[in-house]
Amino acid sequence: MATQQNPVQYANAIQYQLINIVTPVPVYANFNRNWATEPTFLTWQLRNVHQPVYTGQNQNNKGIDRPIFQISIFSQVMNTAFGLANTILQSLHGYSGLFGGASGFQISKADVMWLYNSYDNTLGLHQIFLDCTIDIPT
Amino acid sequence: MPLPSKILPGFSAAMYAQPGASPTALTAAQLTTLASITAIAISGNLLNVEAVPAFGQDDAVASFTVAGSRQSDKIPSQAAPTSLTVTAAWNPSDTVITQVRTDAYSGITERTYIISATDGTGTIYYAFNGRVGEFKIDAQPGAEAKAVFTIHPRGNLYGWTNTA
Repeated sequence: MATQQNPVQYANAIQYQLINIVTPVPVYANFNRNWATEPTFLTWQLRNVHQPVYTGQNQNNKGIDRPIFQISIFSQVMNTAFGLANTILQSLHGYSGLFGGASGFQISKADVMWLYNSYDNTLGLHQIFLDCTIDIPT
Repeated sequence: MPLPSKILPGFSAAMYAQPGASPTALTAAQLTTLASITAIAISGNLLNVEAVPAFGQDDAVASFTVAGSRQSDKIPSQAAPTSLTVTAAWNPSDTVITQVRTDAYSGITERTYIISATDGTGTIYYAFNGRVGEFKIDAQPGAEAKAVFTIHPRGNLYGWTNTA
């Protein structure tokens, strides 16, 4: 039996956790991204929030949530971008425990997938995109 | 509230288990009595299964050679009730699941199980008595841990009722 979990908590925890990993590099939710003034920064966006629904009339008969958040790293220096991606991998990949600080929640596993790196000529920013799946027991 | 009179989605089925460490399973007469069934089919006795498996009766047939006939003859013979292998999300604190686990280690605890299906108005119940054989935990990464158990129904102990 698992009740529906609150994505607001996910967002708070992701923001908290990423800031703690990459400090002092600024971390923004996607809509805040500020490429004009920052030489290096991170954005994230949350997707695939879904608890499988099981049979019966009980609305709380659901499985665990395995949402994915994408981390986008932007930096004017390629080496900085790769270094930041490595910092995130070392800290987050395979992590299990409290996620998002004291007001966060327990996760069974964080699984980071490096998608690709790129360069945006218009912005003059190197970019690295990572997907992180978190398993949240309910 | 009548018998549901439409094709039901499988999703509408729910499964209940009679509570208690040493339950007295319902008699064949009680299994076809709505009041006896609805006393068990309450939310506190709900098994949080992922899906309700196929239930009912297995096939059994005997073939006979008929002299002088081009075709042989097939006669249904004594059929076993269908065993139900159920997958439930594993919550170690869920009292119904832990009771099923205890039953599995015992092997002789007989209790009444009920499957209900509803169209939102009427509900139909299939009740049967059974014992638990298999019980195992599937803790593969990448999804919730699952408790998989098999209920073997006793013969001739079943009943259909509805909220008529």
